[in-house]
Amino acid sequence: MTTYIERTEKQKISDQRAAAIRLKNNRLGMNIFQVSWIMAFIALIVVNWQLRFNYSQWPPAGVPPFDLILPSVATLALLISSVLVVQALKVLRRGFPMAFLVKWRLAIGLGALFMAIIVYEFLNVSDAAMATQYGNTFRLMTGFHFVHALAILAIMCRVYQGAKLGKYSGDEHDSWAVEGAAKLWYFVTFAWMLFYLVLYWIR
Amino acid sequence: MATIAVPLGGGQTTQEIEAVKRPALSEYLRWSVDHKIIGVQYGVTSLLFFIIGGALAMGIRLELWTPELDFMVSGAAYNSLFTMHGTIMIFLFIIPMWAAYGNFVVPLQLGAKDMAFPWLNAFAFWLIPPAGVVMLLGYFVSPAEAGWTSYPPLSTLFSGDGQTLWALGAHLLGLSSILGSINFIVTILNMRPPEMTIWRMPLLCWAVLATSIIAVMATPFLAGALTLLLLDRMTGTTFFDASGGGDVLLWQNIFWFYSHPAVYIMVLPGMGVLSEVLSIHSRKPVFGYRMVGLSSMAIAIVGFTVWAHHMFTSLQPELRIPFMITTMIIAVPTGIKMFSWLGTIWGGKIRFTSAMLFGLGFMSMFVIGGITGVMLAALPFDIHVHDTYFVVSHFHFVLFGGSVFAIYAALYHWFPKITGRMMDETLGRIHFVFTYLGFLITFFPMHIVGMLGMPRRVAVYDPAFTDFNRLISFAAFVLGFSTFIVLYNIVRSYFHGPIAGANPWRALTLEWATTSPPPPTNFHDDPIPYEDPYGYGTKAASAYIEAIDMAFDRREPAPSGAD
Repeated sequence: MTTYIERTEKQKISDQRAAAIRLKNNRLGMNIFQVSWIMAFIALIVVNWQLRFNYSQWPPAGVPPFDLILPSVATLALLISSVLVVQALKVLRRGFPMAFLVKWRLAIGLGALFMAIIVYEFLNVSDAAMATQYGNTFRLMTGFHFVHALAILAIMCRVYQGAKLGKYSGDEHDSWAVEGAAKLWYFVTFAWMLFYLVLYWIR
Repeated sequence: MATIAVPLGGGQTTQEIEAVKRPALSEYLRWSVDHKIIGVQYGVTSLLFFIIGGALAMGIRLELWTPELDFMVSGAAYNSLFTMHGTIMIFLFIIPMWAAYGNFVVPLQLGAKDMAFPWLNAFAFWLIPPAGVVMLLGYFVSPAEAGWTSYPPLSTLFSGDGQTLWALGAHLLGLSSILGSINFIVTILNMRPPEMTIWRMPLLCWAVLATSIIAVMATPFLAGALTLLLLDRMTGTTFFDASGGGDVLLWQNIFWFYSHPAVYIMVLPGMGVLSEVLSIHSRKPVFGYRMVGLSSMAIAIVGFTVWAHHMFTSLQPELRIPFMITTMIIAVPTGIKMFSWLGTIWGGKIRFTSAMLFGLGFMSMFVIGGITGVMLAALPFDIHVHDTYFVVSHFHFVLFGGSVFAIYAALYHWFPKITGRMMDETLGRIHFVFTYLGFLITFFPMHIVGMLGMPRRVAVYDPAFTDFNRLISFAAFVLGFSTFIVLYNIVRSYFHGPIAGANPWRALTLEWATTSPPPPTNFHDDPIPYEDPYGYGTKAASAYIEAIDMAFDRREPAPSGAD
């Protein structure tokens, strides 16, 4: 009986502890989601990889390789946007909500620039490329990534609206929405880096 | 001497305990974030799909009663019959049925008040009914007929719009599975009471953890494959069309990278159930607890390296041997489990309850399925019996003899906790006899007809196989009939079964340290797990169980030494 009595004398989990568990759960859940869903992107890389073997060279004969400049600019924009998100989260934690808003807004802007360039690239795949899997897999991968980037950018915009209304303090327990959106944006960035390498560099 | 830790609830009054009523049936039809309601929702939904899938199986066996095409109007209709049978049984019965038990039992075993993400849990469940309906809607256009594996070009060039609906439904089910699994992993890793280290966790939780890791890592590949299939079918891409530079083997690679691990998604929770049931009903500690937990993880990891054994006849020859070796390696952790179960029941005080009978049934059937699995892993043999009834027999021995037997064992074992009523043991034993014999006589002869060369997925076969097929069909009808026994038992016991009490099996895991059914918050206070979830046979264990009895059922202490 001793342990029972000892244990019942302890108080129930306080609200603070419950909030800590919630945050711990959210963080672990997000990490698992990131590791899990990146597998869908890896699946598409496998698709790209396997279909390459149907051709003697990659890009296939007669198909000009994709231009590197614009996509590289887009990639740089996305990377800077992710760095800004890291900084935004930091300044929010330190209690500078205005600085947070500036950085977050800039990150959204660069994210939108990235997406605009990718849409342009998607729409301007040459007919020669589209006649082969070189173009097909390009549209598959950029399109799949775009859908995710769009949804997550929308979440970032929601967070921005909330932050403007002062919904998030620097306390990590009540700014999970910001942290969650940031982690989703890192996911978008990481997934794109994989695609960028496979689509443009590994030949 | 070990500390005798008494679970909470002992401070309550009898009135409080009696106040725990079963939820109204209408609560199960509504959105609820209570893991126990969601567990039952998963279970009943899966059971409904089991009945539909079973009816389709009866149709298959009716068609195969004679070697000619007579019951079905065409070969295509027969194709859709086995396609929908396989799809429903795998995606809409076995996988969600494990989510049912996982949902109901895992948080209770962990002493948690709910899952980590209750809303997400409900959302994951509510994806399933629409997904099932979307798949079945195929019957109103032209049903999917490319088999549950949906290989292109069968699924792209030779299948109607039902195949598109099939892919959409499977997409939803995949999403549900991922969300549910994230929830399980977080719950199991984060929500345990401080006393329960990972090495004191019940083995069902280990199994669900391993299953969930597989599901989150593999299911995105299914999503990728289905996306390509939908694009090929709907937008004119040529990922699976060689004339456009595509490759039919692409589907096989990506699909099996998900679907082979999915085999373990379907059987690992059953193995977890077995460790629980065998230990509790033979009053013995689990033999080699750590190795059993780790073997679940080993199966999960090695399971990712074997997918191409499904493609031995289409794979580049130089890749065959490596996949043959990895496939054989996976027999090792599976063998560890088998020996653990034998060691667990060896010398135990075995009670032949319905749950135990189905547990033993699982062992005997799964060992056959496992051995034929190793046979199929052997390349020369596999090429001989590829796409024959031998393969059909093998996977039914693991999926029915394994998963479904474990589902039944779990049903008899946890029904008292879920409903507060015991199931009828006599009916349970009758159900077991019909199921065991029906199953064995249905599927064992398939090994023989398979080795003699009868191909799978055909409605018309060589008349030389007629006698075998008649025997198989007859036994299959017996097996189909056996389902009605358990359905009747469920309904009858729900209303008229004897009151179960908190801990009818005198078990040590935490789900039994609360009322049956548990209150909405599961426990009235934080429960204390016993130091070893399977430490039967000690005085401390008996004292713990007696404390549960005293706390919840107000019984007089039983004579000591009984456990």
